[in-house]
Amino acid sequence: MGFLSPSAVSFVLFVVVPTVGVLVLSLFQWNLLSAGRFVGLDNFERLLTDQRLRNVYGSTTYMALAILAINVGVGLLLAVLLETRMPRWLRGVFRLSYLFPFVVSASAVALIWRFLLNKDFGVVNFWISQLGLDRTDWLGSSAWTPISIIIVASWKTMGFSILVYIAGLRAIPNEYREAAVVDGAGAWARFRHVTLPLLSPTVLFLVVINTISAFQLFAEPRVLTQGGPGDASRSIVEYVYDTAFQSFDLGYASAVALTLMVLLIGLTTLQFVVSRRWMHYT
Amino acid sequence: MNRDTSRRIRSAASSALVLLVLGGAAIAIAAPFVWIFRGALSPNDGELYRLPPTLIPEGPTLANFGKVFDKVPFGRFVLNSLIVSTSITAAQLITCSTAAYAFARLRFRGRDVAFGIVIASLMIPIQVTIVPLFLVMSNLGLTNTLWALILPPVFSAFGIFFLRQHFLSLPRELDEAATIDGAGHLRVFFSVLLPLSGPALATLGIITFTYWWNDLLMPLVMINDTSTQTLPVGLVLLAGRFSTGSLTTIAAGITMAVVPVLIVFLFLQRHIVQSISQSGLKL
Repeated sequence: MGFLSPSAVSFVLFVVVPTVGVLVLSLFQWNLLSAGRFVGLDNFERLLTDQRLRNVYGSTTYMALAILAINVGVGLLLAVLLETRMPRWLRGVFRLSYLFPFVVSASAVALIWRFLLNKDFGVVNFWISQLGLDRTDWLGSSAWTPISIIIVASWKTMGFSILVYIAGLRAIPNEYREAAVVDGAGAWARFRHVTLPLLSPTVLFLVVINTISAFQLFAEPRVLTQGGPGDASRSIVEYVYDTAFQSFDLGYASAVALTLMVLLIGLTTLQFVVSRRWMHYT
Repeated sequence: MNRDTSRRIRSAASSALVLLVLGGAAIAIAAPFVWIFRGALSPNDGELYRLPPTLIPEGPTLANFGKVFDKVPFGRFVLNSLIVSTSITAAQLITCSTAAYAFARLRFRGRDVAFGIVIASLMIPIQVTIVPLFLVMSNLGLTNTLWALILPPVFSAFGIFFLRQHFLSLPRELDEAATIDGAGHLRVFFSVLLPLSGPALATLGIITFTYWWNDLLMPLVMINDTSTQTLPVGLVLLAGRFSTGSLTTIAAGITMAVVPVLIVFLFLQRHIVQSISQSGLKL
C-alpha cells in the first residue's frame, strides 16, 4: 500500500478538499474579510439571472467553437499537405515551425501579438492598409477582440492538432490507398473515401480535446484584451478569476466555477466515449 | 504535347501549390517571432515600429537586454519558473509512477473503485477548484511562496492513467520471473519496470514541465510578491500597461523568455514531437 500513499495524500489535499470546498463555498456569501454567511441556493439563483454570465458564456462559446473549427479544419489541411511527397528536411522544417508557438508560454505569445495587432503601429494593420482596406481596431472593438483571441489562440495551438493528425494519418495502412489507386481513384476521391473515414476517430478526438482546452482559455484574453471591451472577449475562467480575486465574491465565483465543471464533465465523458472508439480502430 | 509531359506538368504545379500553402503557413507562424527578435535589437521604439519592418533593424544594439534586468528581477523569474516546473515534474514522476504501479500490478480491495475515482478527477481541473485551492494554501500560510505553485499539481490523474497504461503494456512474465527469484514489490518496481520505462517517463516529464512552465493562472492567484513570480507573470509585469517604459525593453524581455525555450525545443524536438503525438494517442 506504500505505493499509493504519495498520491493518496496529495489527492486528498489538492483534489478532494478543494472539490468539497467549491461545493460548500457555493452555498455561502463571503468576501474574505468578514465571516461567511450561509445563503443556501441563492448563488445558483443568481446564476440564472446574471446577464454578465450569459454574455461571458456567449463570448467563450463563440471563441471556443471558432478556435476548434480552425484547429480541426486548417490543421487537417496542413497535416495532409505535410504528408505529401517532399524532401524530408523540408517536412522537418515545416513541422518544426508549426510547433514553435506551442512550446512558448501563452503570455509571451499574447504579448507579441499585442504589438502586432496595435491599431496605429501594428504590422498587421499596416499590411491591411497597404491592401487599401480600413485599419481594424483589433484590440479595442467588441466585434474584433474575440476574433483577435481566436487568431492568437489557434496560432498557438494548431501545431498540436497537426501533430496528432500526422500520427493518425501514419496509422492508416498504405495498402488502402494503393488499392484505391489501382481502382483508379484520384487524389480527392482517395482523400474523401479512404483517408477521411479512416481518420474520423482522430478528428472526433481532436474535436473533444480542443473543445475542452478552448473552454479553459485564460491567458490569451487576460493579456491581450483583459476580456474587454465589456465582456466581448472574456472567458469563463477569467470571469471566475475576476469574481473571486477582484470582486472578492468567493461564494458566487464558486457557483460559476461549478457551471464550468458541469460543462467539462459533459465534454470529458464525451471524450472518453470517443477515445474508446478510437482505441478499437488501432 | 504527349500525355506523359502534361501529367508531369500537372504534378509539378500541384506540388508547387502544396509548398506555397505550407510555406505560407510556416512564414505566418514564424514571422511574429522574427519581428519580436528584431524589436529586441532595435535602438529605439521608432525603429521597433518601423513600417514596413526590415529584417534587421538599423543600428542594432544589445543594450535592451540589460535594461530588462533594471526594470524587473528577470533572473529571479527564470529561477522561480525553473524551481517550480522542475519540482512539479520530479514530484509527479514519483507519485504517478508509484500509483500507476499499484493500479497496474497490485491486487487490493477497492482497487478498481479507487482507479475510477482517479479517472473521474480528470474532469475537475485546477481552473474549477482555484478558489478553494487558494484558501487551502493561504490557511497553510503558503501563499506568496513557491510551495503554493508546486504542491497543488503534485497529484496528476493524467500522469497516473498514462503510466498505468504503459505498465500494463509490459509483459507480466518479467515481474513473475523476478518474484520467483525472491524479489519484493519494491525490487520489481525499481529494477524491472522502471528501467523499461525511460521513454514513457520522459514523455510525461516533458508534458508536465512545459504545461507548468507556461501556466499563468496559478502564479497570478497565489503570488503577490514580484520577486516570487514566475516568468509568464513576470513578462506581463514587465509589459505593464504598455504606456510605461520602452517597448524595446519589453521586446528584449519576451525574446529572453522565448529563445531558450526554442533552443531547448530544437534539441529535444524528436522527443517532444513523439510525446505530443503519444499523449494524443493515449487520452
